[in-house]
Amino acid sequence: MSSLIQVLAKYRSLLLNGTEITLIISVITIVFGMIFGSLMALMKMCRIPPLRWFADVYVAFIRGTPVLVQIFLIFYGLPIMGIHIPAIVVGGNDISRIVSGSIALVINSTAYICEIVRAGIQSIDRGQREAAQALGMSDTRVLWAIILPQAMRNIIPALGNEFITVIKTSSQVSVIGIAELMYTANTIRGISFKPIEPLVIVALIYFLITFVVSLILSAVERRMRRSVR
Amino acid sequence: MDKPVISIRGLRKSYGTVSVLKGIDLEIRKGEVVVIIGPSGSGKSTILRCMNAMEDMTDGDIFYEGQSLREMKKYADLRMHVGMVFQHFNLFPHMTVLENIMYAPVKVRKEPKAEVYERSIQLLRKVGLEEKKDVYPAMLSGGQQQRIAIARALCMKPDVMLFDEPTSALDPEMVGEVLEVMKNLAQSGMTMVIVTHEMRFAAEVADRVIFIDEGVILAEGTPDQILIHPENPRIRTFLKNKL
Repeated sequence: MSSLIQVLAKYRSLLLNGTEITLIISVITIVFGMIFGSLMALMKMCRIPPLRWFADVYVAFIRGTPVLVQIFLIFYGLPIMGIHIPAIVVGGNDISRIVSGSIALVINSTAYICEIVRAGIQSIDRGQREAAQALGMSDTRVLWAIILPQAMRNIIPALGNEFITVIKTSSQVSVIGIAELMYTANTIRGISFKPIEPLVIVALIYFLITFVVSLILSAVERRMRRSVR
Repeated sequence: MDKPVISIRGLRKSYGTVSVLKGIDLEIRKGEVVVIIGPSGSGKSTILRCMNAMEDMTDGDIFYEGQSLREMKKYADLRMHVGMVFQHFNLFPHMTVLENIMYAPVKVRKEPKAEVYERSIQLLRKVGLEEKKDVYPAMLSGGQQQRIAIARALCMKPDVMLFDEPTSALDPEMVGEVLEVMKNLAQSGMTMVIVTHEMRFAAEVADRVIFIDEGVILAEGTPDQILIHPENPRIRTFLKNKL
């Protein structure tokens, strides 16, 4: 116990920095994952076959390959494709790596969120769409004002699960040298010669983050449930 | 005789190889209350759903105020004039009663909010649910939800109201309150087309009763001709089984 506190005190700023990077990457992934995931879900259900096929193939491929492979593919693949992210260093962190890692995680999360959103939309009774159309609403309005709000409410538990998965999965971008929590743990292990303590500390930090997120989500869920039959 | 608001000409509807409507001709005149009856699966609801373009037609055409539905590019305009009440109410569960009623007039037709509010309150009073204006549909009984659904459709100031088995999903003790609202509406001169299994109600409010069987109109006439003194043996058996 005392050695835990020792490590914590000594490498406080490293750990804080790592936590910050983990949070930044997770928030970026969740925000863009939600946007692209929802768009992908709409593509999957749209009337234009090529868009539907693209979404189907995308989801199948991303869900069917390891995230670690995807992270490496983006990290080494982007420069090969001629996309170079300038290496800007801010506060000791290489932004280009963070961007590359985040892109990989967004690509990954988009596939999962797409499936969650699609299931949510399809869970809404057909009568809701009909009633809205019968009141003269356009298809776009039916979707945004009637279907999506109800779908979102239904999928909050599944989304919460995905958000927590994203936070934990972000540890994998340590392999491309992003100084997030997992990377920080390994750094501290190397310089302190203590193999266990840094791991226990980051495990606790991960747990703290995911626990707070799940508390927030269940509060949101409770609020939304108020109007449910 | 008034000009027809809706006229249906040679309407056919099939789902794949199954033919549901086999040539329906029907006119709905202004201020008229038309009740459509018939066995389950006879195509009653399908006719109604074709009238506001919820289903597309396989053959034939429907004219609203002389305009062909086939020539309409968008149905929003038509649907604002033709209100519909569903068997399962279909209130929006994420909106309060008032939001349910006010949404379409305010957001779709861009009417001033204060005006719509006034009208909504009046309609809620009419269906006897003014005190429920701020609750969510989940807190209401089936009968209350259906009365709200009627108020919601009426708030669009429709010229015609379509009722698709409005009491079929209700507990027996709630049927009366919904029929009462519909009766008042009929007396106020609203043009109504009602698909229902409530024969006594049909006899009471209908100007004209249409009997449909296997996708064709088997008979049409006054409630007396169709419901009270039916000549057609098919209708007689149908009515006998109803009682």
